[in-house]
Amino acid sequence: MRGSSLRGGPDPVARAAVVSVPARSVARPWLSHSARRLMFGYTLLAPAALYVMLLVAAPFLFSLYLAVSDASVGDPVAHFIGLENFRAAWEMDLFWLALRNSVVFLVVAAVLKSLLGTSLAFLLLQNFKGKKLVRGLVVIPFTLPIAISVLSWKWMYDSQFSVINWVLSRLGLIGQFGTEGWPIWLGDPRLALIACILVNVWRTFPFSAIVLLAGFTSVPVEVLDAAKVDGCSFFQRFRHVVAPMIFPILMIGFLFDTVFTLSDLSVVYLLTQGGPANATKILPVLAYQIGIQAGNLGRGAAIALFLVPLLLPALIIVLRNIKRREY
Amino acid sequence: MAVMATQRAMAPPMTQRRKEIRRHVLIYAALIPFIVIAVFPIYWMAITAFKQDPDLYRMDNIPFFFNMKPTLRNFDILFHQTNYGAWLWNTFTISAWVAGITLVTGVPAGYALARLKLPGSENTGIAIFLTYLVPPIILFLPLSRIVAELGLQDSWWALVVVYPTFTIPFCTWLLMGFFKTVPMEIEEAARVDGCGQAGAFLRVILPISLPGVLTSVIFAFTLSMQDFLYGLAFVSPGDQKPVPVGVPTELIRGDVYYWGSLMGAALLVGLPVAILYNFFLDRFIQGITGGIGK
Repeated sequence: MRGSSLRGGPDPVARAAVVSVPARSVARPWLSHSARRLMFGYTLLAPAALYVMLLVAAPFLFSLYLAVSDASVGDPVAHFIGLENFRAAWEMDLFWLALRNSVVFLVVAAVLKSLLGTSLAFLLLQNFKGKKLVRGLVVIPFTLPIAISVLSWKWMYDSQFSVINWVLSRLGLIGQFGTEGWPIWLGDPRLALIACILVNVWRTFPFSAIVLLAGFTSVPVEVLDAAKVDGCSFFQRFRHVVAPMIFPILMIGFLFDTVFTLSDLSVVYLLTQGGPANATKILPVLAYQIGIQAGNLGRGAAIALFLVPLLLPALIIVLRNIKRREY
Repeated sequence: MAVMATQRAMAPPMTQRRKEIRRHVLIYAALIPFIVIAVFPIYWMAITAFKQDPDLYRMDNIPFFFNMKPTLRNFDILFHQTNYGAWLWNTFTISAWVAGITLVTGVPAGYALARLKLPGSENTGIAIFLTYLVPPIILFLPLSRIVAELGLQDSWWALVVVYPTFTIPFCTWLLMGFFKTVPMEIEEAARVDGCGQAGAFLRVILPISLPGVLTSVIFAFTLSMQDFLYGLAFVSPGDQKPVPVGVPTELIRGDVYYWGSLMGAALLVGLPVAILYNFFLDRFIQGITGGIGK
């Protein structure tokens, strides 16, 4: 009894398990225990791995191939044409406009949603009555299916019956309907991109807040208390204890958001289809319009692939951080 | 009662309580703008859906409440003059199939990666998860070819094939986390009791992990509902679309918007999904941040 507990194996079940293992492999000597475990494991893994390989990895490689071919919807036989599609995109003014719009969209949205998200996270960190309800309400934008909530925004941005304009007009901030001072959110090239950005910010600021909150609550109170006892001020504690501990989780949240914001087409497509005067043309919309609507698969694939260099840094950082996952 | 009693015992009651009240008022005041911003579009959707048309298109009334009697006409139009019923059914069947495919592939894979100490299982898990990050906008052109080869274009079956490309990676990763939390001793005990490897998995580990499996089903549903691009690109016949694609593409004809029925259609699906997702949001965040914020 004493011997086994010294070796750290006081649990009879665990001991019995150790004993039972050789007995089993003796029963079937033609296959060792570990070989059977491996076979079992790979059999279980196979369906998921195959699915992902056939419908994600293979299409990804296929899109590389499409991008260097002249495939179109009308002519499914693709010929290799080298980097022609990339060159053509490179020389297209619309491509550069779309790239610029995508970057502006990403950066402005990121700044706004981190400001809103941080303030919300700090508020939700407090203890107050009805916190659960408040949390449930403020995350609604993120949980609504995107195509559905964009419709509501399209109605709120209506050129005449916009409820936003109704309020602003009653407050005296904008002019009357029909005058210069009545903003037409989705019809004015100066306003359309910011209108789309606002929808993205509305949808994702709760996500930023919840990720941040998850980071804060992962810092053990004991650690903070220890730092306090050691004489750290609030800002020292934040700078040297909280910040480094929540940094990985924050990076992952931030980068996920980057990937989804950069590659999302639904907000812009449903609100403006890239118009007016291409003011909201972003890369995904351009890729969709050229690839599917104009039927030029190769050119569309090439434009979509221009997202990869934008996303790659994000992927690499996620990859490096994800390994720190606690088990 | 007990709480109040202890509070009274700890501090002079009035100042303590006044402080608490002041703190609460400040917090609520700061939270109200956030709540209004977050909830208003839903409220707007709901009130629009039940308004009569003339009530929608007047600029002199206060638009936030009913100025005329609420009506169900918009829903009547939705179910009797559009394909909305078919879209609801499509959405439901697509999601059910996707959930089935996700479970059949994701549960065994998650278990194998979490438990069986396969060589390189860590990296395989990460690789599968990373495919979740490959954006649909890069995949949809090649996938349209694959869908056409399978003869599934213009039917919702195309989406049953395509949606697991993002649900399998996410749910496998999620389930991996779940299976890791089941104590090894339970499995060992089952083996001692005469279960084989497969028996221990099916009869002992799986029932314990039922919450994880259920969560995966929910995510298969809600993530399918978040898609727009695949539905838009692969399914064009009006009666084959799922709701999130059908509503914006079919209910808007030219420049004519029937806002009442549009908002009704959006509300009817959006609200239940939002509520369901709400309960599982923490799991979602945990999944993508790698379980750090447990």
